[in-house]
Amino acid sequence: MLLFLLRRIGLMLVTALCLTFVVFALTNMPAKLETLAKTQAGSRMSDAEVASWLDRNGYGEPLVMRYGEWLGVWPGWVREDEDGTVTGRCVTLRDTPEAAGERCGLLQGDWGFSTRFRADVADVITARLGATGLLMMWVLIVMVPMALIVGVLAGMREGSRTDRTLSTFAIASTATPEYVSGVLFIALLASSTVGISPILAEWGWIDGRVLFQGNARSAMDNITLSNFTLPVLTIALYGMGYVARITRASMTEVMTQQYIRTARLKGVSFSKIVLRHALRNALIAPFTVIMLQIPWLLNGVVISEVLFSYPGFGWTLYEAAVNNDIELLLASSVVAVVVVLVTQLISDIGYVYLNPRIRIS
Amino acid sequence: MKDLHAKREAVRHPVAEMYAREHAARKLDRREFLTRATALGLAVPAAYGLLGLAAPEASAQEPQMGGTLRMQMAIKAQRDPRTWDWSELANACRGWLEYLVDYQRDGSLQPVLLESWEASDDATTYTLHVRPGVTWNNGDAFTASDVAHNIERWCDASVEGNSMASRMGSLMEDDALRDGAVEVVDDLTVRLNLSSPDIALIVSMADYPAAIVHPSFTGDDPVANPIGTGPYLPVSYDPGIGAVVERNTDHTWWNEGNGAYLDRIEFIDLGTDPASWIAAAEAGEIDLNYQAQGDIIDIFDAIGYPRSEAVTAATIAVRFNQDNEPYDNKDVRLALQKAVNNAIVLELGYNDLGTVAENHHVCPIHPEYAELPPIESDASAAMARLEEAGHAETEFELISIDEPWQAETCDAVAAQMRDAGINISRTILPGATFWNDWTKYPFSATEWNMRPLGVQVLNLAYRTGGPWNETAFSNEEFDSLLDEANGIADADARSEVMARIETIMQEEGVLIQPYWRSIFRNAAENVHGAEMHPTFVVDYVKYWKS
Repeated sequence: MLLFLLRRIGLMLVTALCLTFVVFALTNMPAKLETLAKTQAGSRMSDAEVASWLDRNGYGEPLVMRYGEWLGVWPGWVREDEDGTVTGRCVTLRDTPEAAGERCGLLQGDWGFSTRFRADVADVITARLGATGLLMMWVLIVMVPMALIVGVLAGMREGSRTDRTLSTFAIASTATPEYVSGVLFIALLASSTVGISPILAEWGWIDGRVLFQGNARSAMDNITLSNFTLPVLTIALYGMGYVARITRASMTEVMTQQYIRTARLKGVSFSKIVLRHALRNALIAPFTVIMLQIPWLLNGVVISEVLFSYPGFGWTLYEAAVNNDIELLLASSVVAVVVVLVTQLISDIGYVYLNPRIRIS
Repeated sequence: MKDLHAKREAVRHPVAEMYAREHAARKLDRREFLTRATALGLAVPAAYGLLGLAAPEASAQEPQMGGTLRMQMAIKAQRDPRTWDWSELANACRGWLEYLVDYQRDGSLQPVLLESWEASDDATTYTLHVRPGVTWNNGDAFTASDVAHNIERWCDASVEGNSMASRMGSLMEDDALRDGAVEVVDDLTVRLNLSSPDIALIVSMADYPAAIVHPSFTGDDPVANPIGTGPYLPVSYDPGIGAVVERNTDHTWWNEGNGAYLDRIEFIDLGTDPASWIAAAEAGEIDLNYQAQGDIIDIFDAIGYPRSEAVTAATIAVRFNQDNEPYDNKDVRLALQKAVNNAIVLELGYNDLGTVAENHHVCPIHPEYAELPPIESDASAAMARLEEAGHAETEFELISIDEPWQAETCDAVAAQMRDAGINISRTILPGATFWNDWTKYPFSATEWNMRPLGVQVLNLAYRTGGPWNETAFSNEEFDSLLDEANGIADADARSEVMARIETIMQEEGVLIQPYWRSIFRNAAENVHGAEMHPTFVVDYVKYWKS
């Protein structure tokens, strides 16, 4: 088990290293650096000004060296101006001129400086991950029970009318990407001129102008049913269909097992068979899928957070990419790798505990 | 304007009196008169006095104190004010960083940190009178040396992206302030000695990068160390998310009682997709937007956020870069120009929300505008001319940014060229990459914000080697005429030179400039004083809510 864990962590490190280097190389292409200089110091700068800005801010060194600086295996760049002021990577990060020439990268715990948000990357990422954590928690609270109920109900009697109806619903929801469902929800539920809100307002069923808010910015301070429903629903529905399909497949398989037939021949009631004998065995597969679904949900988080302007991790990733915020993008990639591999790890370990056959062998 | 009533005497100025006569003779409309007369140093009531009119009262309603205003506006990472390249950067800071003068919605200049100024008749010497009794919010007194310090900062062209340097040319030498250009006469008087006449100097000081900073300001973030003269202070500032500004209770503002009505202003950055602004308005989370365009204006109207309009000299320049083939050939430029009917571009590309322009980048609302014979488009003549130039088969490419109104305008331009039989393709670039090369594209469209005087954009964009010269236009006669115009205070006289300048622009086929844009803002009905401003100024110090 220990060896397995070590191997997994080693894999995680190698993946993160490769991914961050690719991101680093892509964000440091000359055209991208020019964009960065222009967003930082004036969009209408001349080429000479861009070159001088890049040089003064440590972007002039070779790519590999700067990647080493970010990792913390190479000393940060230092530059002394004519008037004696010392600038440098570590001077900015540590806020003291004495730090010039030290190493200050990932290994030293310095995640760098976000050019888009003008703050330490570590602070930005922590704050934004917190916001996304809340969103994901609500997504899982909505998605998991809904998916399991739909899947179990559909899988109980394969081919029945309930099965066909619920399966159609599940397929439809998983086939609708977030950028479609999100827009549809806004049009249907969050507009005072179209959809059902004007009707409800006319009947006096809702106090405000709209049923739900099509903008989740206020959820940053205070999460309410009104401002959080649509983003949560948008992400949850997409993941829900997939998990429900897997649960259904697993359930139908269990329902054809010999021991279920035996129980039924012995006269055990249908509800008792489902609840006591089938359910637990049928939930092993969905558990793995739910864990593997979490990294997929990160996709949905990017789309949904941007659509509803909710400043979480996905929104930050988008902003960092659009503004070529190099160190923030790198940190986001590290976080994404960690999320993917940690959920995989949990699903592997959890599987061992849920499935006695693997545990005993 | 109310604050000025008691204090001002009508300081007479020979040129201003001539403007008044011109106005009487209906040569000038009121807006032109105000811009010109106030640029020469007349205070607004005095300028109105010359017209034989009383200055209008600030507003019929008495502003109410208190309340929180929530406004949709992009919040970008801050930096040194003189390097600001977006009005939004300035707008967020207007509560504590004030200006020497303000450009008003009606086209006049209002003194702020200056009490008044005078120009010599040839516009080569300016005397600035600093407003007495102004203090910084750290307790220091605001004096003439603070003004001199800021002018010196503006003149430092060695700072990357310092766009004020391009406006202060007549005070500069070797990329820095010229010795003797600024004299501090006494605590409240500054004299400026210009190397060449510049009628735009005072107007330039109302431009958004000209915010007045404290002598201790060295860093690049005016929010982190918010020493200013205004009545507000920043509470938070998060790029991409929003900013909060609250009234500064520890500071006595010089203009107490004539502004600073709101307790708190929240700017909310909702990204660039107008659909999320609408969603936020529907949810009741914003009171007004920053700027609405196209269909979005109507949608906001429909959900109870009526529009306000500002007529501007803002425009889109569909320009050729003469450093690139085949646009170095004048006949090609003129042929392409000839194929385009500007009125149709306005209708298709901008929903008719503006006025037709004449391909010379001087607007009828500019004081020195000279009317030229109308330009006519002619598709067959255009094609014939192109054939003559040997470019009948050439494939042209018109580049635009992905912003809808700009893309649609270029589509309308390209469609007309196609109708004339010209082989043209369209390329749309995302905003993040478009601005990297905006001065170098062979044939592309650029958005230009307005400047109060006609000579200002010409100086920036069409003079040989001008900092923002994206057309690579270089014409000796044009340059010398522009120098001449820069020194003529008399409107009619300048207009005559301007007529020649405009004609050169047209004859040389420098650009297709289809229309002047009106700009719009939608605000809830209980928001007052927040009408759209022609230069996108969000002077929230004057806003109030009922």
